[in-house]
Amino acid sequence: MLRLAHVDSFYGRSHVLHDVSLDVPAREVTVIVGRNGTGKTTLLKSLMGLTDKLTGQIAFEGREIADQPTFRRARAGMAYVPQGREIIADFTIRENILLGGFASPGSSRAIPPLVGVLFPYLMENLDRPGGVLSGGQQQQLAIARALAANPKVMLLDEPNEGIQPSIVEEIEKVITRLNREFGLTIVLVEQNISFARAVAHRFAMMEKGRIAVSGPIDALSDDLVHRHMAI
Amino acid sequence: MIDILFIGLSLGSILLLVSLGLAITYGSMGVINMAHGEMVMLGAYTTVLCGKWLGANLFVAIPIAFLVTAAIGFAIERVVVRRLYGRLLDTLLATWGIAILLQQAVRLEFGLSFFGIHVDGLGPGLQNVAVPTLLQGTVAVGAVALNSYRSFVILVTLVTTLATWIILNRSPVGMQVRAIIRNPHMAAACGIDVKRINSLTFAFGSGLAGIAGVMMSGFKSIFPDMGTPIAVDGFLVVVAGGLGSLSGTVMSAGMLGEINGLIATATNDTIARAVVFGVVILIILLKPKGLFSFKGR
Repeated sequence: MLRLAHVDSFYGRSHVLHDVSLDVPAREVTVIVGRNGTGKTTLLKSLMGLTDKLTGQIAFEGREIADQPTFRRARAGMAYVPQGREIIADFTIRENILLGGFASPGSSRAIPPLVGVLFPYLMENLDRPGGVLSGGQQQQLAIARALAANPKVMLLDEPNEGIQPSIVEEIEKVITRLNREFGLTIVLVEQNISFARAVAHRFAMMEKGRIAVSGPIDALSDDLVHRHMAI
Repeated sequence: MIDILFIGLSLGSILLLVSLGLAITYGSMGVINMAHGEMVMLGAYTTVLCGKWLGANLFVAIPIAFLVTAAIGFAIERVVVRRLYGRLLDTLLATWGIAILLQQAVRLEFGLSFFGIHVDGLGPGLQNVAVPTLLQGTVAVGAVALNSYRSFVILVTLVTTLATWIILNRSPVGMQVRAIIRNPHMAAACGIDVKRINSLTFAFGSGLAGIAGVMMSGFKSIFPDMGTPIAVDGFLVVVAGGLGSLSGTVMSAGMLGEINGLIATATNDTIARAVVFGVVILIILLKPKGLFSFKGR
């Protein structure tokens, strides 16, 4: 579904991603793991066209998108749930969710039923500002916003970072359901190896801006984790 | 006393029309548009040309001036400003250049004066617009007689401000504008065509300045350099009111207009202007983010 070939990505003059090639098959979860500062977030940003410069090829459903601006990628069916969630604090929950809808032009500007199924709490508080929500609820809101785009692939950047443990489990369940029940293709940046193993079909281990190892999730051995992620 | 406050209110209204556009382009997009005053000037000249060439009065000039200045604003954004986002000083210089270009285009009658062709209504001299008879004289409100034209200006400002508020807060386009103000990257990742919306925003802000120009033409003589001091006033209002705050701009325009009106009546225009400058300097010293900026930028 999503294929990167020899992608190099830059912020200003700093060269962050080096020769990254990766296949993201449809209807699967691909997890990106690695230490902090190895380029996992940059990889997702590169997919969305949010870095300053990029060379190499990115094919989405067979179409080359590496030279497309961010909003076209979003409209092609890529939804982004960034690190730190980046919801808009003084927009209502409703507005925050509908914001995602601009990626599916021509759609009736309504909240998709799936959001109600997954996040009943958000549906009960649509007119409250997004800023009053807790970290975990904001994360749910960011996922709801991505779902409003009716995406083909969802890019999730450390969805469980800085979230109270009670909600972590809920969000893990949601991610699993989105893939298993609703067939959504997911690229997930995740530090928690046990969750990564539970949810993902494939993995890519990053180190120093490159993909050190990648393959089916069964190949993500303790030895590999120890070698690339131990501090 | 009421008539003095009323004069202040009408001054504030013009200020508000000028600064609404600035509040959107400067406060929201981070572009200091030095050519904003020239949009006011072009709006005023549109009124002149409408009168001379179409025989149309000030009422007809309002929508025409809005469209003309919006189209010019759109072109400026597309050709120049778009390439300079995030480079504050460069936009400042480039739009200043555009301002001079526009002034000279009017003064030299688009360059036709070199060939001995004269366009009636343009050129270096002063132009004046007749206020429609309907707006001459006064209207009686209770015991007070209010100047009709000033009342009209206040009414137009009210309608325009309300329309701007509704567009910003109740329409999908407005929601996209507000999203871009707060987080342009995330807005793009949500499928918003940031460049296109910015062009429209810039055009809309310019169009508002054009309407201000039409209103101004009923008060004052029109000449090619008239825009510069107006743009300065507009920036004062936006800075004093707080960046990116529409309500702040409204309050600050009303306040500065009233101060100007009150002092000008008690003393004269020059002292009034000095006092307004003084007040704004004080505001910036005491509250650098502006009086009504609820959220920091």
